[in-house]
Amino acid sequence: MKQNRLNLIVLGIFIIVIGLSIWSILVNPIKLGLDLEGGTQVILKATQLQAADTGTSGTEQNSGSISSAAIDKAMLIMLNRIDKLGISEPLVTKDYSNNIVIQLPGVDEPDKAVELIGKTAQLEFKIVKGIDENGEYELGPALITGDKLSNASAGYDSNGQVVVQFSFNSEGAAEFEKITSENIGNPLAIVLDGEVKSAPVIRSVISGSGVIENIGSLEEAKDIALVLQTGALPVNLEIQEVRTIGPTLGQDSLQQSILAGIIGLILIAIFMVAAYRGLGLVSLLGLASYIALFWGILSILKTPLTLSGIAGIILTIGVAVDANVLIFARIKEEMAKGKSKLASFREGFKNALKAIIDSNVTTLITAAALYRFGTGPIRGFAVTLAMGVIISMFTAIILVRSILFLMINSKIMTPKFIGVKIPKTQIPKTQKEH
Amino acid sequence: MATGKPTVTDRSYKFDFVGKGKIWFIVSTVIILAGTVMFFVRGFNYGIDFLGGNLLEVKFKQEISVTELRKVMEETGYGKAILQSTASDQYIIRTVPITTQEKTRIIDSLDKKIGIIKPLVQDRNVAAGFSKQIIKYTLIAVAISIAGILIYVWIRFEVRFALVAIFEMLHDLFIVLSFYTITYREFNTTSIAVILTILGYSLNDGIVIFDRIREEIRINKKEKFSDLVNYSVNKTLARTLTTGTMTLFPIIVILIIGNETLKDFAVGLLIGIISGSYSSIFIGSPLIVAWNNRFQKYKK
Repeated sequence: MKQNRLNLIVLGIFIIVIGLSIWSILVNPIKLGLDLEGGTQVILKATQLQAADTGTSGTEQNSGSISSAAIDKAMLIMLNRIDKLGISEPLVTKDYSNNIVIQLPGVDEPDKAVELIGKTAQLEFKIVKGIDENGEYELGPALITGDKLSNASAGYDSNGQVVVQFSFNSEGAAEFEKITSENIGNPLAIVLDGEVKSAPVIRSVISGSGVIENIGSLEEAKDIALVLQTGALPVNLEIQEVRTIGPTLGQDSLQQSILAGIIGLILIAIFMVAAYRGLGLVSLLGLASYIALFWGILSILKTPLTLSGIAGIILTIGVAVDANVLIFARIKEEMAKGKSKLASFREGFKNALKAIIDSNVTTLITAAALYRFGTGPIRGFAVTLAMGVIISMFTAIILVRSILFLMINSKIMTPKFIGVKIPKTQIPKTQKEH
Repeated sequence: MATGKPTVTDRSYKFDFVGKGKIWFIVSTVIILAGTVMFFVRGFNYGIDFLGGNLLEVKFKQEISVTELRKVMEETGYGKAILQSTASDQYIIRTVPITTQEKTRIIDSLDKKIGIIKPLVQDRNVAAGFSKQIIKYTLIAVAISIAGILIYVWIRFEVRFALVAIFEMLHDLFIVLSFYTITYREFNTTSIAVILTILGYSLNDGIVIFDRIREEIRINKKEKFSDLVNYSVNKTLARTLTTGTMTLFPIIVILIIGNETLKDFAVGLLIGIISGSYSSIFIGSPLIVAWNNRFQKYKK
């Protein structure tokens, strides 16, 4: 009965793991993706900043190649801004082609938030060299930029005009002192994202702080202060896609797909029991464990569940029962040949295994390609597809096998239970095994 | 099969899939040809993912007809917007790419003239060039999975199985693409996801049949190859149909109870899964026999 002990151990391990999984589901609820929870998703493409800050590299056109360090920095800054806007649970990620994907669950004014988060906020100070025939300023190189600020805030000046006050950090203050002392009498342009906000004439040496004038409203000033506090983005961002899913649409989708999943499972259960009788019942234990483990791993991984993820789950339910269908069909085939129960079960599992592994590996190959090169929703699908295929190998093969082999000598394991009609002459044969 | 004396060498089968192969090749060719013709005549009905543009889904405070909504959109200056009703009081409004200000103007106008329930059901704005990246990476994903599967099946089976497997995959891919051009159903990122899903799934049935053929070849070397294939397909037929039906259960339920977003996904999957099982049985098995007959090396 060594075999039985091994099967009991396997069963025990499964019970523990499933218990842990259920515990995890209760403790960490599944995170929902934006398409199910509602919220805003923005995809931003990073492009090179205009090479204005050096003033000398006008011909340099490094289009396309943006260092991933710059993108990481931009992501950090944006996360900081989102934080300051008070949006909870944001997600800022990079996708396959270095696009930045921002997910904001439940924002009241998504468009405004998006604009602010993606604002470059490049603050530059340049000496005005003159004014051209179109009335535009001719500017010198940037002498100092916004990354040496220590603080920025919105307020009013002595005339009651809205301004943004800023102060430099110690390094910036020293530099600014040097610049202003060398340029007394010249106008100094304060440029925000390429737009000259004001160009006051330097009258005396300034060190610690200054103001940005010509701001439309206090609200705008607050926004500018916010982006200045968090620093300038090292890249330019172009909005590729903004998608807002209202809370009702997401809820609808979630409820309907869960309902579809449940009804689908019930239909599968009826079908399995009708086709494979007792074996079908055992496979349902495998299927139930599969769902518990799948849900549990989702809750541990904290990957948000998306609509395409659900599609993956629904598809893998088919894959999960398929393994059992293959095995049971083989068992019945072997029994029809007149082999004993034990031999039939052994052969059935053995013969089906190759087909299960080969078909699952081909699915995994595709899932890997989808994960590597897919866009956001496709990635979600690839993850659930791969998870499903792997988990189902454990539940549909190992777990179901252990249960069946533990039951094999019990009285309920009759031909009727297995769902085969064995010619009467062969019945004695099937009882001879041990 | 449990007749009086079942023996190992009993290789009788019920359906001649291999012999009728030509009919099914014609059926598939006709569908894919129709799809290709429609592609050149009308092309895909691209969604905003591909064309760029703005999509608003709005729930109104009252029921409203398309004509009434059209009138309001015309007054706002967007008479060319595509309107699609998702419920009697709910519409998808598609326009060209617009700025935030323009969007606000449309929403305000709709709110003033009809009354809308906020927040919006959904709202999307896609830049025109965005789809180029999606297409590029989709093609890479397709190429890599085909290459990967080719190599795997080659190693595990033989080169003839690998080539037939790829043929089956491409067949299913083109059937689903033809479905989109023939029905003129909107082609969007969901459709791309569906295609990639089919890519991953379509081969399951084929592999199971190949596995059986592989096994039968080993057991019985003398048998005619076409008989071995027919026998293998017949032997796995119950499994192919059972699994196929069960996989379709939840998808059919979604088609019945789901909203537009879910249905979009389910329709493509339905076509793809049916095509996957169909091609494994009716296309793949005759093809592998045809391949065998062509090359002396395999002839029996």
